[in-house]
Amino acid sequence: MKLGMMMKALLPLAAVALMTGCATKPQALYNYGTYSESYYAYKQDTSAENLLAMQQAILTAIENANESVSKRVAPGMYANLGYIYFKQGDTKQAVHYFEMEKSLYPESAHFMDRVIEKVRKAEAKGAKS
Amino acid sequence: MKYGKIAALAASIFAAMIMTGCAAHNAGISKGEAFPQMYEEDPRSILVLPAMNESTDAEAKAYYATTIEMPIAQTGYYVFPMEMVSDVLKQEGVYDTELLYSMSADKFYDYFGADVVMYTRIKKWDVSYMVLASSLTVTIESEAYSTKTNEKLWDYDGSVTVDLTSNSGGGGLAGLLVQAIGTAINTAAADYVEYAHVANARLFFALPAGPYHPAHRTDQGVVIRKR
Repeated sequence: MKLGMMMKALLPLAAVALMTGCATKPQALYNYGTYSESYYAYKQDTSAENLLAMQQAILTAIENANESVSKRVAPGMYANLGYIYFKQGDTKQAVHYFEMEKSLYPESAHFMDRVIEKVRKAEAKGAKS
Repeated sequence: MKYGKIAALAASIFAAMIMTGCAAHNAGISKGEAFPQMYEEDPRSILVLPAMNESTDAEAKAYYATTIEMPIAQTGYYVFPMEMVSDVLKQEGVYDTELLYSMSADKFYDYFGADVVMYTRIKKWDVSYMVLASSLTVTIESEAYSTKTNEKLWDYDGSVTVDLTSNSGGGGLAGLLVQAIGTAINTAAADYVEYAHVANARLFFALPAGPYHPAHRTDQGVVIRKR
């Protein structure tokens, strides 16, 4: 009984704290790991090594997606990973990750469908020649 | 090492966010007052176009692109993958930013399915050296349009200057933010991208929380600046 009353008194307080942000832990919605730094390094020098390092950074961030408030893989990460596979010539993995992006973030479906179509066309062209 | 730096940066930004959150009872401009159309339209996704570089640093545009995805996503919106977006635009023959910026916003819905399109101008991206001190400045202007109505949803001018020798960063919340970040990176080599992160963070923590954020649709009352 007493506990129930206390809970009732505390609940609105907790709700207010949550809304104002006072109770939020200093943790991000998504875990990006070292994605930004590796992307920056790749922009400075678009070498195969730097592309590989970026790929590794994204894979690690995906593995550690749980270390975040949302526990989700961040927007664009599967797409960015798929695009790296595409650059490396692995169209199968590329399409796989574009599909992953689409299923996790339906907002990307329109764009991902277009990109997958482009990959398919490139594959068909490659098979003919 | 680098990871720690970014973690410290993220922590200081969140500390600033929490401070503003706690100050919600003070009189000031709230998110609801500042961004009425954002609450009305409730967009889910943001497409960031390659920036228009008006600074003296030719590389600014490419480097800026590496800093923009995270703050938008952390605010709760879906953000389109930057590298793919800029490459696809290049292939479509509209990489010339002048041309890109003259296109109406609804075109970007047709191609990407984006709810909001964001145009960014990098005004300043430089370091000034003095005898004893040096400072870094990153100045960004951005405008966001609805792809449904072609109406402007918000605009923003942000400038971050950091004195690299002492930790003075100006007054108010922005000053505190810069100070906190200045401390975190003071020992490391000066890096422009860190400052673009700061400028971006300032803009995005003011925006209404997006659909993937727990505060979505409940943060209208959060005060973001003094009246």
